[in-house]
This record gives sequence, C-alpha cells and structure tokens, in this order.
Amino acid sequence: MTWTRPEALPERPAGRLREPRPQRSLSPVEIAQAAVMGALSAALAIVSVVVPFAGGISLLATVPMGLLGYRYRLRVLIASTFAASTVAFLIAGISGFMVVVNCAYVGGLTGIIKRRGRGTPTVIAVSLIAGTLFGLVIIGLLAVLVRLRTLTFQAMTANVDGVVSVMSAFEPFRQPAEDARHVFGLALDYWPVLLMSYAIFSIMLVSLVGWWALSRVLDRLRGIPDVHKLGTPDETGTVAPLPVRLDQARFRYPGADHDALRPLSLSIDAGEHIAVTGANGSGKTTLMLLLAGRRPTSGSIRRPGAVGLGRAGGTAVVMQHPESQVLGTRVADDVVWGLPPGARPDIATLLEEVGLAGMAERDTGGLSGGELQRLAVAAALARRPALLIADEITSMVDQRGRDALLGVLSGLTDRHRMALVHITHYDSEAGIADRTVSLSESTDNKVMVAQAAPPAPTVNHAPAKSVPVLQLRDVGHEYGCGTPWAKTALRDVSFTVSEGDGVLIHGGNGSGKSTLAWVMAGLTAPTAGACLVRGKPAHEQVGQVAIAFQAARLQLLRSRVDLEVASAAGFSPHETDRVVAALAAVGLDGSLARRRIDQLSGGQMRRVVIAGLLARRPQALILDEPLAGLDADSQQGLLRLLTGLRRDTGLTVVVISHDFAGLQELCPRILHLDRGILTPSAEPSGVSGGPA
Amino acid sequence: MTAARQRRPVVLLRPVPGSSVIHRLWAGTKLLVVFVISLTLAFYPGWVPIGLAATLVAIAIGLARIPRGAVPSIPRWLWILVLLGAVTATLGGGEPLLRLWSVDVEVGGLLKFLRFTALSIVLLALGAMVSWTTNVADVAPAVATLGRPLRALRFPVDDWAVTLALALRAFPMLVDEFRLLYAARRLRPRPVLADGRSRRRRWLAEVVDLLAAGVTVALRRADEMGDAITARGGTGQISAAPSRPGRADWVTLGIVVVVCVAAVVVEIRVLG
Repeated sequence: MTWTRPEALPERPAGRLREPRPQRSLSPVEIAQAAVMGALSAALAIVSVVVPFAGGISLLATVPMGLLGYRYRLRVLIASTFAASTVAFLIAGISGFMVVVNCAYVGGLTGIIKRRGRGTPTVIAVSLIAGTLFGLVIIGLLAVLVRLRTLTFQAMTANVDGVVSVMSAFEPFRQPAEDARHVFGLALDYWPVLLMSYAIFSIMLVSLVGWWALSRVLDRLRGIPDVHKLGTPDETGTVAPLPVRLDQARFRYPGADHDALRPLSLSIDAGEHIAVTGANGSGKTTLMLLLAGRRPTSGSIRRPGAVGLGRAGGTAVVMQHPESQVLGTRVADDVVWGLPPGARPDIATLLEEVGLAGMAERDTGGLSGGELQRLAVAAALARRPALLIADEITSMVDQRGRDALLGVLSGLTDRHRMALVHITHYDSEAGIADRTVSLSESTDNKVMVAQAAPPAPTVNHAPAKSVPVLQLRDVGHEYGCGTPWAKTALRDVSFTVSEGDGVLIHGGNGSGKSTLAWVMAGLTAPTAGACLVRGKPAHEQVGQVAIAFQAARLQLLRSRVDLEVASAAGFSPHETDRVVAALAAVGLDGSLARRRIDQLSGGQMRRVVIAGLLARRPQALILDEPLAGLDADSQQGLLRLLTGLRRDTGLTVVVISHDFAGLQELCPRILHLDRGILTPSAEPSGVSGGPA
Repeated sequence: MTAARQRRPVVLLRPVPGSSVIHRLWAGTKLLVVFVISLTLAFYPGWVPIGLAATLVAIAIGLARIPRGAVPSIPRWLWILVLLGAVTATLGGGEPLLRLWSVDVEVGGLLKFLRFTALSIVLLALGAMVSWTTNVADVAPAVATLGRPLRALRFPVDDWAVTLALALRAFPMLVDEFRLLYAARRLRPRPVLADGRSRRRRWLAEVVDLLAAGVTVALRRADEMGDAITARGGTGQISAAPSRPGRADWVTLGIVVVVCVAAVVVEIRVLG
C-alpha cells in the first residue's frame, strides 16, 4: 500500500533530520513519528515478551526509539515512550512495560549520541553511566519493596535448596551442590552488588547491539524518498481562502532539475466544483500543495485571507491512502479528531451525508477503503471548509467504493457553501465537475524509462489443460479458534486450478479472499479441508506457490534490486546474468539491477517482486490486488506483461481482486467469493468498465 | 486436518464481545484499579492481599462473563517448568511441617513458591481484564483525563494522550505489516551456507534487512499520518464522547480502596 511517489524528491532534504521547532508543543509530524515509532517499538517488545524464546527481539526495539532520538527533540522521545509503554502494558502487562521503558532509555541515548556525531567509545562510556543509574534505580526500588524482595528471594532459595538436596543424595555431586548453595546464598546477601553488575552489563550490551543496529538501519534509510508533503502554512489573520487566483504560479522542489508544476494560471471561486486531471508527474499533487498554502517558486497566488488548513471555514484536504487518512479508532472520534476543544459538530448528520449513517460507534479498523475515505470526507466537512481539496481519493478504492465516493462528492457544492477541487487521474471522474483543468501538457514521463518490452518466449509451451496444480477440497478457515473472537473466514471452498489457468478470485471487503490466497500459498494451514499443490498439502511446501502481496514494498526485503531478486530466487547476487534475465522476464531493463529499492516506482516494485518469484519457477503465481495503487499506465503495462507470461510460458495465474476492470484477458475464469463462501456466478459484464 | 491441535492465539487489543458492568466502566477506572492493586501487592505480597485481589479479579471475571476461551493456550513447556519449580521448592523444605499419612513434609519452600506464582498470576489476570473489557478507543481519552492534574506541573499530557491514541490506531496496521514481512521471508529459499561464520554474517544481514524494511514502512506510515494531522489543522479533540467517571466508577474505586486498605491492615497488624 505504500509506494514511491514519482514526484517525490530522490533524497530526504537535509533539513528533514532536525526540524527546528521553536514552539514547545509537538508538531503534527513529530506526533505522527512519535506514535508510529512508539507502536513499532511496542510491537517488537511485545513479541519479545509473548513469544517464547524471542527475548532477543527486544534488542531491536531500541532502533525505532534511537531513530526518534536521532531525528527529533527529547520531547518527542518522551511522548513516544509514554505511548509505547502504555500500549505494551495493555497487551503484555508489566513485563512489556519494562522492556519498552528500557529500550526507550537505551535507544534514546544511542540516537542522541548518533546525532551528536560521536562514535562507539562514547557509547561505551555513556552506557556505563546509564547502566549505573539504572542499577541505582532498581536497587532503590527493591530497597523500598522489602516484602516483595524477601518473597522473591525466598522462592528462589527454596528452588535452589530443593535442587541441592536432590543432588546431595548422589555422593559425587554433594560437594559441588553444597558449594553452589553457598555461592547462591552469598549472592543473595550481596544482592545490590549483583544487581548493579547485572544492570551495567545488560545496559552496555543492549546499547552496543542497539548502536550497531541503529547505524546499519540509518545507512539504509538514506535513499528513502520523503512522502511528507503538507506543511502548516505560516500565516495570521482571518481565514478566507477563496476566491483564489493563481497567476503563472510555478513550483520546483529545492535541488530538483525540473518544475514539478509548470506555470499555471487559474482562479477558483466559492461554490465551484473543479476537476484537475493529468498524468502522473504532471503536478497535480503540487497544485494541491500550492492551494493548501505552499508558496510558489515564481508567479503569484492571491487570496483574501489566510488558507486556514483544517480550520473552520478554511481549507480541508483529503488524500490518497485510506488507512492513513483516518486518525480515530472509532468512527465518531475520527469525525471530531483535531477539532478545537468545545467544537461540537453534528456527527450523525455528517455521517449520514457521506452514507455512513448509524456507524458512529464502529471501529475504524473494520472499514473498507471506500468507507474510510468517506469518513475522511465527513471529518473534512466537520470543519465547514470554504475549499475542499480531494487529492486522488478514489485511486486505492474498489469500483463500488469509488462510485459511492463520487456520489458523495458530486452533490457537495450544492449542499454546502464551498468550492471543491477534485484531483484525479481518471478522466471519467472529471465528468461530474463544473469544469476541468488539465495539466497533461506538462507531462514528464520519467517513470516509463526503465520499462523495456517483454522478451519473446524462449520455451514453446503447450498448456496441457487437465493437469491440476492447485486442488482445494472443502477448505474452511476460522481465525481465533476456540476464543470468543472466533471468526470464520472461509467455508467449504472447493475448486481446482489447472496448469496454465488464469483464475480471478473476486470478492469484496471481508469476503475472505486474502485468507484464501494465504491458504493457497501455504502460509496459512486451513482449519478444515485440504489445499493440495500437486497432491501434497500446500502448507508443507511453502514457496512452491508464489504469492505477490498487495503491499509490494513489504515483500522487498533487500536494499538493492539485484540483491533482492537473488535472495528471492535463491541464487547468488554475483550471478549478474541470471539477475538480468530475471528482470528481463518482467520487462525491466538490466540497468535497474543496481538501483536501490526505495527509488523504484510502484509499478517497478511490483515487477521486481514478480521477477524474484518467477525466477524460482513456481507452480503457480498468486497476485493479491496487483493493480491497486498503480496509475493507469502502470496498470496496463503490468496486465500486458502478465497476460503475455501466461500465454507464452504457460504460467498459472491466480488473481485476487475486488475489481474486474481489465482482468478479463488475464483471467478468463472467475470465481466469486462472498463472506467466505464460493458462489458460482460471476459474469463480469455490467460490473466491469471501470474508469481505468 | 489441523483443527485438533490448533492453539488458542493471543488476541491483541480487542475486548471480549458483549456488554457488562465491567465493560461499561470508565477506562480510567480500570487503569486506576490495576495501578492501586499492583501497588498494594508490590509492597505487601502476603497471602491476604493476594487472596483478596484474586477474589476481586474473580468477581470481575464473572461479572464481565469472560469465557475460558479468552485465555490463550498455555504451552506445555510452561506447565512443566511450573511443576518442576514446585517439586524443587518442596524438596527445599523449611517450616511449617505438614503431616501426611504419618509422614512429615516440610512445605515452607512450596508455600513460598506457590505464593510467588499466585502473585504473578493475579498481576497477569489484572492486566488481562483491562484488555478483555476495554475498547481501545477509550484508553487515550481516559489517560488524558487522568493526567489532567499533571498539566499544572507543565507536563505535556495532551501531547502524550494524542500520541497514545495514534499509536493505538497504528499498532494493528503495523502488526499486519509484520505478518506480511514474516510471510515474505518464509516464501524465500534458505540460502545454503557451509561454514558458521558466513552463516552468522548472513543472519545478521538478514536481521538488518528485515528491520530496515519494517522501519521504512513505519516511516512512510508516519509521514502520511503527519500529513493527515496537518490537513486537520493540527491536534485537538481525540474523542467525540466525554471521558469521565460515573457513579459505578466511584463505587468500584471505593470498593477497591477499602479492600486494599483492609488487606494492608490485616497484613501489618494481624499477621505482622
């Protein structure tokens, strides 16, 4: 679900590392970083506590905290520690809490040392002091909690005594056992000394491991593009964003060699509904940034008052990623999220307007992409904005969700006193607007450079239709078996995929299609029935059936394309010709081999994943929402590639999707999944014909 | 085919379905109760406080109608470990004596061990009760209300509460992403490496790769979340409903305080 924005900068700007913040309170970026890194740290700490023999993972929980210490103020680190320790406490109890506090302490120190540009000797010295302080705190605590200490020591002594008395029954062990008891008793007598040595040792060890891991990870993060876009405009005065007039406004990112937005003249008045269209890289998002308060590099933007981003009567923005738009855990909470204290919008009416009536108490975690985006629109409307900017809000939403969203958008300017700027790369969506601004003439097609044509087939493959590859017999799966949270995801699913087949498994949100994909790939053992790959259970041969996840970035584990392909395929990265051949098979140029993963576009990432998977010659290839999040050009390119692969090499393809659009040729056979049950049906006619 | 040996998993941050007095209590009350009881037990881990706390937890479990299935399966090695501990502690002996069929058994060691185990279980159950009966969405607002007095001391309590709310929102998404990362790793062939040194180096490189992938995803998530916060004009309210204690909460707090004070008094005065 994450991918590189082509218009993003190739390098993080230097200022990003330490944003000077004169004001005391945390900025939006700092809060978000503190929260997400805290959650990451808590997750690692919880795994180390809950999963047996995974204690070592807690060493890694220092890294997110170290990153915060390196990039932000101490205040951010403290807020994050608070959040992470509370989360860990809620899930893993007091031990989770302790692990997080410890990791924040050590991680924060290493991060700050890193920021100061010091090296390993400083880490050793600082961790020595930190360990001593930590030891003092623990000794102080145990000195106060006399009874708890006594009980713990007595319980330990009883166990040791028991072992010793057993050992003493056997003559050769009597003396060593007695000695051990003596040493143990001595150690308990001098417990402060023992605890202090332990504290110093463990803190130094964790610091050094954390330092090592943090340094490696920071090296890795250098090439990551910055997807953070919005900034709070620096402004005072009354909020009045409309009417706005752009006069030859042009924008170029600092250090870039071309304009992100070519000179543009445009005016937007109250009550207008404007569609902005254009290909990727034409500056649609940059235009959104300018309207949201960024200053143009040249030209001018005039408005009567302040932009008022997110303020009452100001400018509201809804962006692309459904999950990231929604900040509240409960639907009603998200509508009011961030409103000034005392503001009481009519939540029921707002939710009704976006078609979410009666869902105020629902958890946002269970909403579909389309519902999340409509909720984000409701939250924007709660601010009664004069200008609402919808930036490609339908691009990660399925067809039904897209229609519902467009339905909400189409009437907005009639029902409210506001202007709507709808940015989209689907021409068909622009139809509902009063007028369309097209940015396409300034297209800069750098995305297409590395996509060569797929090579001609080398093997003349005649598909033998009847050989079954995947056989599912009465497959059922229930999550959380035996718990009050038990939820059936699949029920009595039976079908067969034969060699060379192209199958589309179609289903909506929560239909169980992702579970089915995991079962077929062998990643999940079904709780009922059997899933066989060439006659053997799938979960006993993970890797035989390849699966490309929707979140391609998560499947790319190595730092560079060649390393990644080699690791996924199981050959050495030095075998350049095999890497190049694997890349060529998915239509990627060999020159891409040494490119860093984080500098690839979304379409390229997906192709690299497929290249690595196909190089192992899998029995079948499962693709989970292969087109989601790609622009129209990349979608068509990927579809052409997959169709060609199936036709020419006899690849067996299973696509999991909530969309039919454009998949007919790749997947002639369609299975429809509804609430975990396979329904025969599904003629794609009438549902297809999406805006792609 | 695997149904028979399926273990009950640990379910994260989701309350047991249903509604009860305990479910409806203010989240802050539950946090306070856990805090007060833990503090009492930390200072006075005697049989009386442990027993009284266990009774309170048992009543709460009954009121909240927590089914047995909510408790995750306990791995066999843990049972064996506890049993082993009990046996060695019994062999350790110590006062008092227990006469069993005319055999004197010294059960002092066993009693110490049992007390320590009981203490651990009560503390675990206390924490679990909060998870089982509290909607995640209610935690951060409750923390904000509870922390209000600290605001006078210039602690940035509101920033903390917002960070906590967002961390709880981001947590399930990160867990899903970890599941994917783990699955992606399982799909790969194992590299065949002969000597231990290159295997170790390979392993370390892999740890860094996984960590870097995880952090990259988290960074992006944070970037987007930061944009979403900016788009809403910064932070402000985090919940639609007011977060404050009601009558049931005062009653609960009263009961817990009385029980804790009684336990401490018995522990100090009566048992010394």
